[in-house]
Amino acid sequence: MNLLLIAVVQGLVMGLVYALVSLGLGLIWGVVDVVNFAHAEYMMWAMYATYFAVAGLHLDLLAALPIVVALGFLAGLCTYIVLIRRIMGGPAVTQIFTTFGLLFFLRYSAFAAFGPDFRGITWPPASGSVLILGVPVSTAQADAALAALITFGLLHALLQWTKTGKALQATAQNPAAALALGIEVEWMYMLAWGLSIATAAVGGVFLLTFYQVSPTVGDAFLLLMFASVVLGGFGSVLGPLLGGVVIGLVESVAGNLVSPTFKLAFVFAALLLVLFLRPGGLLGQERRG
Amino acid sequence: MTAVGAAVGVLLALLPLAVHNAYFINGMILVFIYGTAAEAWNLLGGYAGQLSFGHAVFFGLGAYTSTMLLAQAGISPWLGMWAAAGLVAAVSLVVGLPTFRLRRHYFALATLALAELVRVLFLNWNLVGAAVGLYLPVRLMNQPWAMIWNTKTPYYYIALALFAAACGAGAWVGRVRLGLYLRAVDEDEDAAAALGIPALRYKLLMMGASAAFTALAGSVFAQYVLYIDPSTVLDPLRSVLFAIMALFGGRGTVAGPAIGAGFLILLSQYLGGALGGFGRGYDYVVYGLLIMWIAAYEPRGLLGLVQRLRLWRPAPAPGAEVQPPAHDGDARGPRPAPAPLLEVAGLAKRFGGLRALDGVDLEVRRGEIVGILGPNGAGKSTLFDCITGYLPASGGRIMLHRAGGPRVLSGRPPHWIAQQGLARTFQLIRVFPGLTVLEHLLIGQEHRGESIAAALRPSPPAVRRRAEILLQFVALEAHRDAPAAALSYGQQKLLAFAMALVRRPPLMLLDEPVAGVNLTVVERLKDYIRTQNEAGTTFLVIEHNMDALMALADRLYFMANGRVVVEGPPEAIQQSDEALNLYYGR
Repeated sequence: MNLLLIAVVQGLVMGLVYALVSLGLGLIWGVVDVVNFAHAEYMMWAMYATYFAVAGLHLDLLAALPIVVALGFLAGLCTYIVLIRRIMGGPAVTQIFTTFGLLFFLRYSAFAAFGPDFRGITWPPASGSVLILGVPVSTAQADAALAALITFGLLHALLQWTKTGKALQATAQNPAAALALGIEVEWMYMLAWGLSIATAAVGGVFLLTFYQVSPTVGDAFLLLMFASVVLGGFGSVLGPLLGGVVIGLVESVAGNLVSPTFKLAFVFAALLLVLFLRPGGLLGQERRG
Repeated sequence: MTAVGAAVGVLLALLPLAVHNAYFINGMILVFIYGTAAEAWNLLGGYAGQLSFGHAVFFGLGAYTSTMLLAQAGISPWLGMWAAAGLVAAVSLVVGLPTFRLRRHYFALATLALAELVRVLFLNWNLVGAAVGLYLPVRLMNQPWAMIWNTKTPYYYIALALFAAACGAGAWVGRVRLGLYLRAVDEDEDAAAALGIPALRYKLLMMGASAAFTALAGSVFAQYVLYIDPSTVLDPLRSVLFAIMALFGGRGTVAGPAIGAGFLILLSQYLGGALGGFGRGYDYVVYGLLIMWIAAYEPRGLLGLVQRLRLWRPAPAPGAEVQPPAHDGDARGPRPAPAPLLEVAGLAKRFGGLRALDGVDLEVRRGEIVGILGPNGAGKSTLFDCITGYLPASGGRIMLHRAGGPRVLSGRPPHWIAQQGLARTFQLIRVFPGLTVLEHLLIGQEHRGESIAAALRPSPPAVRRRAEILLQFVALEAHRDAPAAALSYGQQKLLAFAMALVRRPPLMLLDEPVAGVNLTVVERLKDYIRTQNEAGTTFLVIEHNMDALMALADRLYFMANGRVVVEGPPEAIQQSDEALNLYYGR
């Protein structure tokens, strides 16, 4: 079979998963104008939550999904109210510093609580593989990609077709003007944080069916997420989707056809290239300052 | 401050004579090594405001270079560490050139990605031991040339000396002109460029110094732990730690990173011991909480916290101690013949399909005050941005006539244009909120031909005198030590004006100098412009205040839709139906 086709299909599938976990990072960046360096850690906690729901409480994955996503939404809300609200409008240094602090706290609390072991689950419906364009892809990964598409569809519909979505977009473009129009900008920020972490949680739930969790799982994902968001631009829902897919393709094609050892190096190189050539992303607009 | 630093240094040097606890001495050696890296990070991230999360690369490259030189070529680390510092500084400059174009989060991200890239490469590079890493040749134990001992005391003093040198470098930068320039660049790079400060040059200088010190710390670290591999010395977490130490203690100060390193390392060491029974990672949980708390509560770090607690402070004496000379230093020469100073020909600027400037011709002659008038959106500010290099023109030519021949300004960066003798103010006032009034005037000095060596010295007496004169000229003496953020809007306008005057620019471009200030300040500014004009400065002024412009200008250009519609003396413009119709939309 054509090696390139395999690489492309697998890259697309993983790319959708990357897009799903990156979506929230871009959302907060775009709406709240905060860069959350701890985003991957929320995904890690969602993976642990899923693990304990499935392996500990013997829930089905699909029963655990709404619980974990709701918890994620709450976690995002709390993060905004307790921490982020205090640093809004502060210098970039303070924001970067704060979310790095959050990263340390979240990662090492997991480390202290669960130890360094890798943990995974098996979800019977997702065993085996399916054929996509004639290429075998593990059912677990295909399910995650499907979940990504559904999540993107729902969020896109929310943003485009509801009044709340329009208000969220207005807040992203000009918070002062949005406030003057009577939009509750505070609520929009809370909503953005809630949605952000909730989508990371969806990603975490499905990721666990084929990727084991440990406290440092965020390490591998943090730069992938940033690469996706920066590549696609953070102005829209479609930006991270495109960015994630491109990153998945780069990783898979370069990893399969050139050298698997350096597949992450290719991703980082792609990120640097985009930063230097088009810091606003492929779709987004460059921000000044 | 220097005395306190020296006293702390002496105490630290005497410490091993009094304390023999190896656990504690080990902690202190790590404090010095990490402290050196944190101080080095602070040179770039604190003073120059460029947040790097890739300093582990410099640390790791330093460690690898000196180790390879010792293990493979038998070169003593006493020499090898300097070779490492030089190599790493060179690498940092190559990295810095493209990376410094990025701002804010993007710079941090790029450094993070670069660090990961290097780590992946080293993990797979067999020459440097790949994932297995490198052992230092322990057969050379206790041979001083190899910098390897089985006691801790020599390491203690080497690390302390390095730490002291790094602190010294930070203190130096904080006390000389360079430190002021960097703070200005950090607060508003565009406004700094308008003064002629070459931001990129100084950022690269700090990058090189920062990388070199970090590499030295890496070399000493390798000699101390005797084993290096990518997951220790190139660990991205290490980059973050350097940054966090500096930020935690208080960035942009000398004491901050030192305090941060001491606090976090010793906390980690003793917390690890105290909580060891529960498994690992608690120290980082505490780090995380502390970082979040201090970032939200006191962004200036621990040092800021201390300053906040120090409630009593001697009130500064009212600024009466300086008596500036009565006569303004500007020697008024004979009025030069009206030769052209600035020539703009066929200047065009397009934003996509919009023609913001559509073939503007304009001439400013020596000694004139020329006004530019026109409705909003006429292209006035765009014209200024093109002349001063903030926007690239799409076509046309801009020439400045100076002694020694005309200079083409098109296509040159803002700081270069400023250095040719062209000063500007901005429509939305741009001062540096954290710099004091006096500091604004000091950084306004001439930057043309200023060498790096000169920037490493304090401001010369002539500049200080000039600053005092101007301080009095704009009546801000009472606020000389106040940060610009504490001034009123009108005072900020006066300050921006005075700051541009320091280097006696032959041509000043003022963008709405009297907009938004009260009538008293309008009159004062008009007076200042007239006084300076009589002293020989030529002015090109954008203004909506018709009365002010009519009273000041020798000639006016009326612009609309990106073109010059009418040009002539004020009376002629006042009587031009075309101009009035366009202006009032009749």
